[in-house]
Amino acid sequence: MSDNITDIDVSSLQPAMEEPLMTGYEQPVFRLEEMIINMGPQHPSTHGVLRLVVHLDGELVINVDPVIGYLHRGMEKLAENRTYLQFLSMASRLDYLSGIFMEWPYVMCIEKLMEIEVPPRAEYLRVIVGELNRIISHHMSYGDFLLNLGAGTPFFWAFRDRETVMDMLEMLTGQRMMYNYMRIGGVRYDMTDGFEEACRRFIKDFPPKIDEYEKLVTDNEIFLSRTLGLGAITPEEALDYGLSGPNIRATGIPWDLRRQQHYSVYDDFDFEIPLGRNGDSFDRYKCRIEEMRQSLRIIEQALDGIPGGPVNVKMPPVLRPPAGEVFCAVESPRGEWADYLVSDGGLRPYRLKMRDPSFVAISALPRILPGHKIADVIGIGGSLDLIMGGVDR
Amino acid sequence: MNTESPVMDAYEAAEHAETLLGGLARDVRVLKGSVVIALGAADLPEVGMRLRDDSRLSLKMLTLVGGIDREDTMEVVYVLRSMEQPVVVELRAATGRLEPEVPTVTGVWGTANWHEREAFDMLGIRFEGHPDLRRILTRDDFDLFPLRKDVQPRRVPREEWKFEGVGPAVRLPEEPDRSQRS
Repeated sequence: MSDNITDIDVSSLQPAMEEPLMTGYEQPVFRLEEMIINMGPQHPSTHGVLRLVVHLDGELVINVDPVIGYLHRGMEKLAENRTYLQFLSMASRLDYLSGIFMEWPYVMCIEKLMEIEVPPRAEYLRVIVGELNRIISHHMSYGDFLLNLGAGTPFFWAFRDRETVMDMLEMLTGQRMMYNYMRIGGVRYDMTDGFEEACRRFIKDFPPKIDEYEKLVTDNEIFLSRTLGLGAITPEEALDYGLSGPNIRATGIPWDLRRQQHYSVYDDFDFEIPLGRNGDSFDRYKCRIEEMRQSLRIIEQALDGIPGGPVNVKMPPVLRPPAGEVFCAVESPRGEWADYLVSDGGLRPYRLKMRDPSFVAISALPRILPGHKIADVIGIGGSLDLIMGGVDR
Repeated sequence: MNTESPVMDAYEAAEHAETLLGGLARDVRVLKGSVVIALGAADLPEVGMRLRDDSRLSLKMLTLVGGIDREDTMEVVYVLRSMEQPVVVELRAATGRLEPEVPTVTGVWGTANWHEREAFDMLGIRFEGHPDLRRILTRDDFDLFPLRKDVQPRRVPREEWKFEGVGPAVRLPEEPDRSQRS
């Protein structure tokens, strides 16, 4: 017997690994599969109704599938069933924060089809109201982006100053958000008494407030750690995805339709295009802040140089643009808003296709988000400045 | 803009595109300020590749993809923008109306992915080779292609208007005091 002792295999005394060490308890199970989380549709920080199906590995995002269409109102079909003038009042309901930039390409399309010369005073007024609209849209973007990151104060500061501009826009157009100010062949109203004065006061008062915004946010360490290097996209990818506006300028591509396409009277003004370098959230934020300053410069020059004369041309009560296809685009606060209008010579648009810059920005989310933490998804989405009213149309 | 390629106007761009594409373009002309290139649907990816990689035109940005129901044919429009030149180039291709099918250009411009999904959703144009051709704006089980001309909104005569689900009568709230508007 003693001879056999050395022959015992020690490892056979240990229990096999498959068996539970303690009976009566379930062995803890660590699964290594991905987790799927639905963000939205009713998420507190989406601007409208957007659903992101996020695939997670722990807290890292592996894949994102944006689901849109919750605000789809069929605007393109509605346009086909209304006369040209009837649709004009609906255009600013698309991207409700920058309504002027939806009306503008639409009237440009019809003017191009009917070969209407717009009076220079009307073009200057369009530029003034457009740049004011750009400022309040960037206000909203600044406030909401910071709110997404968890900072409440900037939102209220932005809204305090946004109110001033909205009052001015109300003086000019009669409306605070849904302007319906553009007319085919000009604009609806001339400047009212006191508008120019209010505008000049705003141009004087606002730059120190932009400095305040920056003092509050830009050098803040928490803000920097949540934006620097996050949500970055390279210039090549930005072009491939067709980004526009501040989102592509943040990557360093000087792409601004006000410069590139020479529409309206933007050639008369001296302004700079703010450019980023890294294409990350911080650069996008910084581009928007600088654009507010440049918009002020444009408004000041437009007020100085505005010519006299009529603000619109006499149009027939029934519009029948000649048959044809026409494409017009403007640089909206979020990027290139373009309209493709097909007319068959009738009373109604035969087809109106609209291109929304936020739609394109959302389509880039599956490229931008993977590799980031789940907590940064909202911040990066906010930095892209998505407005669902335009995306879903 | 670099100095080697001077700025082209639309007519020069049209001429350049015509020599570049050779037989692939059926018709090149300038309409309403944009260069319009008519081509066969099957040539779309090849034409897109050539226009994008050309050093002078450099049409690197696809702005929109639109479908137009022409009642006898279905037309697809691609609007392209150049990084170098202030020109707009439109590619137009016609396809059959009932079973519209064109090859996808997602391999040329990545942004075409969602634009083509939208054209499929709205008009039922099938993009052959598209990686993810699903409905995008309407719900997944929607059975219509709403922007086709034979789909028309149902007009309800005024006599048939009724309000369902709110009960027989709804008491209106009292008129708010409008004198103190905040």
